Amino acid sequence: MLSPKQMSRVTIVGHKTIMEQTVNALHGINSFHIEDYNDEELGLKIGKSFENADDVSSKLIKIRSISSFLGIKKTDVGKQNVESLFKELDTKLVELDDEVSKRTDRKNEIENHLKELDALNKELQPFITIPLDLDQYSGYENLAVFSGVVKGDIEFKLSSITKSYELFSDARSGTIVLFVLKEHADAVSDILPEFAFKELRVPEISGLPADLLKKIREDIVNSQNDIQSLNAEIESLRLKYSDFILASDELLSIEAQKSEVPLRVATSEHTFMMDGWVPNEDYDMLVSTVENATNGRAFISRTAVTREEDSIVPIKYDNPKISRPFEEIMNLYSRPRYSEIDPTSLIFITFPLFYGMILGDIGYAVILMGLALGIKKLVKSDAVKPLMNILIYCQISTLIFGVLYGEFLGFPLASLHTEHGIVAGLIPGFETINLFASPFATEMITYPVHRTHLVMTMIVVTALIGVVHINIGYLLGFVNERRKHGIVAAMLEKGSWLVIELGILLLALGYAGYIPSAVGIAVFLIGFVMLLKGEGIKGPIELPALLSNSLSYTRIIAVGLSSIYIASTVNQIAFEMVMPKSFGLMTIFAILIFLFGHALNTVLSIIAPGLHALRLQYVEFFTKFYEGGGIKYNPFGYIRKYTEE
Amino acid sequence: MAVEGVVAAMDPAGLKAIGAGIAVGLTGIASGIAEKDIGSAAIGAMAENEGLFGKGLILTVIPETIVIFGLVVALLIK
Repeated sequence: MLSPKQMSRVTIVGHKTIMEQTVNALHGINSFHIEDYNDEELGLKIGKSFENADDVSSKLIKIRSISSFLGIKKTDVGKQNVESLFKELDTKLVELDDEVSKRTDRKNEIENHLKELDALNKELQPFITIPLDLDQYSGYENLAVFSGVVKGDIEFKLSSITKSYELFSDARSGTIVLFVLKEHADAVSDILPEFAFKELRVPEISGLPADLLKKIREDIVNSQNDIQSLNAEIESLRLKYSDFILASDELLSIEAQKSEVPLRVATSEHTFMMDGWVPNEDYDMLVSTVENATNGRAFISRTAVTREEDSIVPIKYDNPKISRPFEEIMNLYSRPRYSEIDPTSLIFITFPLFYGMILGDIGYAVILMGLALGIKKLVKSDAVKPLMNILIYCQISTLIFGVLYGEFLGFPLASLHTEHGIVAGLIPGFETINLFASPFATEMITYPVHRTHLVMTMIVVTALIGVVHINIGYLLGFVNERRKHGIVAAMLEKGSWLVIELGILLLALGYAGYIPSAVGIAVFLIGFVMLLKGEGIKGPIELPALLSNSLSYTRIIAVGLSSIYIASTVNQIAFEMVMPKSFGLMTIFAILIFLFGHALNTVLSIIAPGLHALRLQYVEFFTKFYEGGGIKYNPFGYIRKYTEE
Repeated sequence: MAVEGVVAAMDPAGLKAIGAGIAVGLTGIASGIAEKDIGSAAIGAMAENEGLFGKGLILTVIPETIVIFGLVVALLIK
C-alpha cells in the first residue's frame, strides 16, 4: 500500500521468425512495459518495422481523414468481431472511400460554382437598371465606352465638350454608361475625375443585366439545395459507417502499434531481444502466454530490480480502490520513485482532513456533495471522475467538522452566551455546552466548537497538528533515506531534525523549571552537529523552517475564519440590512443577495481550502521526504472498446 | 487641553482594528508582489512542459505564508 507495485525486469530473446507471435502475445496481456532499445554499442541494431506497417498506416490515415470529414464522434457502440472485420476491411474501406470522395468532389465543385455566381452577382448589381444588353458595351470602332460610378450630374460639363453622346444613368446608385466618339475620349476622361469616377468592370457575357441576375439567383438557390441534399447524404453515410469506422480505426491503431514494436527492440541478423518490465504478479501469466504462442521457442529471463535501476523502473501504483483517486494528486506533483514510499494513502487521510478542518460547514458540505455527485453522474470523462471522488471525500470530512463546529452556511447552529450578549443559534433551544477551559488561552472549549470565539486555542492546535504532520514527514524521510543510503545517512539527514526538536522541547521544559536547561542545550547541539554533518551548511540555514512550517498550518484556522466571515457577512447583509419587516420587493432582493453571496462563497469553498490543503501536502509535508520523478508504467497493449477477439 | 481631548477620543478598539487591517493589507501586498514573478515564471515553464504544474504551484504559493502570518497577527491583535 505504501510502495508501488513490485516489478521484474524481463528479457525475451528468440528467433526473428517468432517475433510477430511474441509481439501479438505480449499485446494481448497488456502488461509488459517495453524499455526502448537505444544502445547501439552492444552490436545489436534497432529492428525494422513489420512488413505490413506501411499498408496499415496508409489505411489508418485514410480512415482517420474520412472519420474527421464525416465528423465521427466516439460513442458507445457494440463491439465487432476482429476476424470478420479484418476480412471485410479492405473492400469496405475502398467502398467507403469511393462513396465519400465522390461526395467531397461534388461538394467542392458546387461550392466553387457558388463562389463564381456570387462574384458575378456582385459585378452585375450596378448595371441592373441600365436597359442595355451586355454585348453592346464593347466592340466599336469609333466609339469609346465609359462605365462606372460617379457623384453628381455630369451632363452639363459633358455637353461643353461634345453634343453627340449617349448617356445611360441610374440616379440612385450613380452608375453611368457613356458612349462618346473616340476623338472626344481623352477630353471626357479628363473631366470624369471631377465627379469621382470609378470604373466598373463589365462581365463578359451577353444578355440584359436584370434577366441575368434573375437567372443567377435561381442558380444560387439550386446549388444551395444541392449542397443540402449532399449534406444529408453525408449524414446518412456517417450513420451507416460510424460503427465500421470506429472499429476499424481501433483495429488499425492496434496493428500499427504492433508493427512498430521492432523499432523499440534490439535485433541481430536472425534474433531479437526485447527488454522491459512486468509486475511480479503478472510474470507467470506472461511466461505461459508467450510460450503458448511460440511453442516454447522464446527464451524468457527475469532479473530483480537493482539499486542502479531505481530511476528507470516504471511505476505502477498499488493502492486500495478507496484511496486511488488521490493518485491524481500525486501525478500532479510527480510519481514516486520505485524504492520510495508512495504517500497516496497518507494523503487520502490528511488532504480531506485539512480541507474539512478549513471549511467545516454543514451547508456547504451538502451543496458541494450534491454538485460533485451530479457532475460525476453527468460527465463520463475519466479525467473528471477522480477529481469528483476527491471532492466527495473532502465533503464527508467537511460534514463531520461542520457538525463539530455547528455551522450551517455561516450561521451558528447553537446559541452562545458571551460577555457581549447572546449570539442566537439557528436551531432554537440548542445551547452551547461548556466543556473545559482551554489549556492555551483564556478561552472555554465548548460543543459545538465556535471557531470565531476560540481563535487563540485553534491557532495553537493547528500549529501542533503541523508539528505532528511535519514529524510524520521526517519519519518517512528517515525510511526513504535508510532504503537509499543506509541507516547512518538516515540518522544524520532526517534523524537529526527529530533530535533537534527533542532538544527544543527539553529546553522549553528547562525554561519552565522542570529540568536543568543544560540537558536541552546539549541535546539541541548534538542534533545541530548531526544535521551539519548530514546536510552540510544547507541544514542550519533551513533550521528556521521548522518554525515557519509549523506556523504555516495556522492557515487551517485563518482561511477557515475568512470563509466564515464571508458567509456571515452575506447573511447579515441579506437578513439584517436588506430584509424588510413585511413581505415586499426588498424581500426578493434580500433572497437574491443571499443566494448570490453563497454561490460565490461556494466556489471559493472549493478553491481556497482545496489549494491550501494541497499546499500543506506539497510544500510542508513532501519536502521532508519526497523526491519523485518516477516513470509512468505504460504497458504495451490496448484497451479495446469497439472490437473483440 | 485640546490635544488631550483628541487623545482621549481615540478608541483603543479602533486602533486595534487599524493595526489588524495594516497587518493583513501589507502582508497581502507583499505576498502579491512575491507571487507575481514566481507565478508568471511558473506559467512560462508550464507552457514548455505541463508536468511542471505541481512544482510550479508549490513555488508560486510559497510566499502565501506571508499573508497567512499577517492574518494570524491580525487575529492575535483582535
